[in-house]
Amino acid sequence: MRLLLVEDEIDIQSFLRSSLEEAGYQVEAAADGKTAERLAIDVPFDILIVDLGLPDMDGISLILRLRQLGVRAPVLILSARRSVDDRVRGLEQGGDDYLTKPFALAELLARLRNLLKRNSPAASDATRLRVLDLELDLLRREASRGDEILQLTQQEFVLLEYLCRNAGRVVTRSMILDKVWGMRIQPDTNVVDVHIYRLRGKVDGNGQQPLIRTLRGVGYVLKDR
Amino acid sequence: MSSKTAKPIMHSAAWRISLWATLAFACGTMLVFVFLHRFVADDIQRRSDAWLSGEVEVLADVAERTPKNALYDRVVGEVAELAGKEVPNRDLSESRSNDSVFFLQAGDDGSLKLWVGAGTGEANLKAIQAHRIVPDHPTDLHVQGFEVPFRVASTRIDDGSYIYLGLSERDELRVLGSLRVRFFLLWLLLVLFGFGIVFFTTRRMLSHVRRITEAASRIGHADLNARVPTTERNDEVGHLALTLNRMLDRIESSIHQLHTITDSLAHDLRSPLTAIRGKLEMSLSAATQGEQAEPIVSAIEELDRLTDFLNKSLDVAEAKADALRLTRSEIDLDELLRVMTDLYEPSMAEKGLKIRLRSVGSLKIEADEALIHRMIANLFDNELKHLHAACTVTIRLQMEDEAMTLVFEDDGPGFSPEVMPHLFERRVKGRESNGHGLGLAFIDAVARAHGGTVTACNRESGGAQITVTLPVASNEHARSPIAAMLGAS
Repeated sequence: MRLLLVEDEIDIQSFLRSSLEEAGYQVEAAADGKTAERLAIDVPFDILIVDLGLPDMDGISLILRLRQLGVRAPVLILSARRSVDDRVRGLEQGGDDYLTKPFALAELLARLRNLLKRNSPAASDATRLRVLDLELDLLRREASRGDEILQLTQQEFVLLEYLCRNAGRVVTRSMILDKVWGMRIQPDTNVVDVHIYRLRGKVDGNGQQPLIRTLRGVGYVLKDR
Repeated sequence: MSSKTAKPIMHSAAWRISLWATLAFACGTMLVFVFLHRFVADDIQRRSDAWLSGEVEVLADVAERTPKNALYDRVVGEVAELAGKEVPNRDLSESRSNDSVFFLQAGDDGSLKLWVGAGTGEANLKAIQAHRIVPDHPTDLHVQGFEVPFRVASTRIDDGSYIYLGLSERDELRVLGSLRVRFFLLWLLLVLFGFGIVFFTTRRMLSHVRRITEAASRIGHADLNARVPTTERNDEVGHLALTLNRMLDRIESSIHQLHTITDSLAHDLRSPLTAIRGKLEMSLSAATQGEQAEPIVSAIEELDRLTDFLNKSLDVAEAKADALRLTRSEIDLDELLRVMTDLYEPSMAEKGLKIRLRSVGSLKIEADEALIHRMIANLFDNELKHLHAACTVTIRLQMEDEAMTLVFEDDGPGFSPEVMPHLFERRVKGRESNGHGLGLAFIDAVARAHGGTVTACNRESGGAQITVTLPVASNEHARSPIAAMLGAS
């Protein structure tokens, strides 16, 4: 996957570059709009990360210009601004995504994956999800581990489904709040932890190998091996 | 839309102003007319007195010169009758002309010597004797049998008898009467005309003011760049509009300045925060989980709290200046509260708290989704942080007079008296609170930005109560909870 990173802050650019490379992307970086434009025309990229505050031009103008030049790759917009611009909303509706700074790396990676998935031909609409010995029947809304059926509430099932769909990858608390409860909030209290704790009690309860791991300071991961 | 149709014309300022102006105008013109009338009446009186004095002199002269023989009565009578035909202010259509003038000669013994006029003259003589008329000074005389008084002039002739010439004031009063009627009609016309002019000019003036008011009230959070309509004219109303617009310019520029400051502050702080967080995360993935990771983890958590604090502080700062920018969309509060309750219930149960939700059913408002979500999360966080085990939180969502009310109440310890007066200020928190003391200030900020209010108090039965009231955007939405209630029942 070829990725173009347009970010003028050298500190942010360097850590993003190494994290993205670690995640398996081939990263080209640009610190201003002109360079970005030149690179995007020369090389076909699969995905772009564009910071809104560039020294020579507005990030939105750059994206619109690239679109005019025929660059079709999806864009993840990084914004340090407080309010979400109407033009950003427009791009969001057009299939791009935005992320406000500061962000968790896990969330950045998840959003990149989503953007790429959205642009690839239809993903399979499986009715069953399987992670090791955990199995979810999406039609009957039933989860089972091994031979045992888990007694989950509606909400716990949705939460487990989200973890399963991202099995092996880190999900943050704010991602869980966004995807399971549909809210972009930052609670002062450990509300998500309690949900995970309860879910873990049911999934990993009977002395089995624990599947749901907590990565402190980062989030959670459902082990897939 | 227009206030003209909304309220009766009697309650408008234009009506009141014209009423008072007309009253003053009416009093003024009335005074002028009274003086004019007085002047005319005096003049008429002076003229008739002059005539009377002149005629009585002529008659006295004739009476003196005429020999006192059988022809005396005829000669003097003729002259007196002739004088009666030249009465001033005479109404020519009047047929009974002979009763408006009388001539009377009385001897010094008080006997009636000669009488020219209507009737026998006895009543006139009696009235004259009762009244004591001084020669050369015309006076008013009431005679029995006549409605209007006579103006009587007298003189003494050489033989010791008195000559009296009386002129009825009937004609004079008729002239004055018709003058009064004309004056009154003219006055009425003037007053009505004046009222009309004052009313229409003030209404025209005030309609400019009303248009300015309507335009000014429309200028809210959304369109601070709108301006009130200005007129070409260089009058007070034009100045008002210009002054308002200049004031709006200044407000817009201050708000713009505030946005620039908060935006650049946010931007300048977020960039290093992003870099720090990224580096911490990278070193976390490099470090083995355990003791080494612990300080990094807590640093990340502190950083996230700092970010949240930064966002909330800037929001509160903007909201205090009524400058919070909103992106409105339709939100179902009932649905949102159910999801929030679902989210918070396990944490509450973990702490031994019970939570109850009482809602009227679907209640939709036009509001900024992100802010409303954060506000309600704050209300829940607030309960979760301050209550101890075995307390119950009751959340009520209801609809009252075009506004929705959201009440969070508990049976916990309530607010302590020392923080009570400063609940909505920044950095105010309970002694045991570990928050950054922005919670209630933020809730207040969001409610204010949406045109609502927040009140907090201690319940009589113990425990705290926070009430958030938000206006429901339009009538369309005001109907929906009722519809939903009907649908639900």
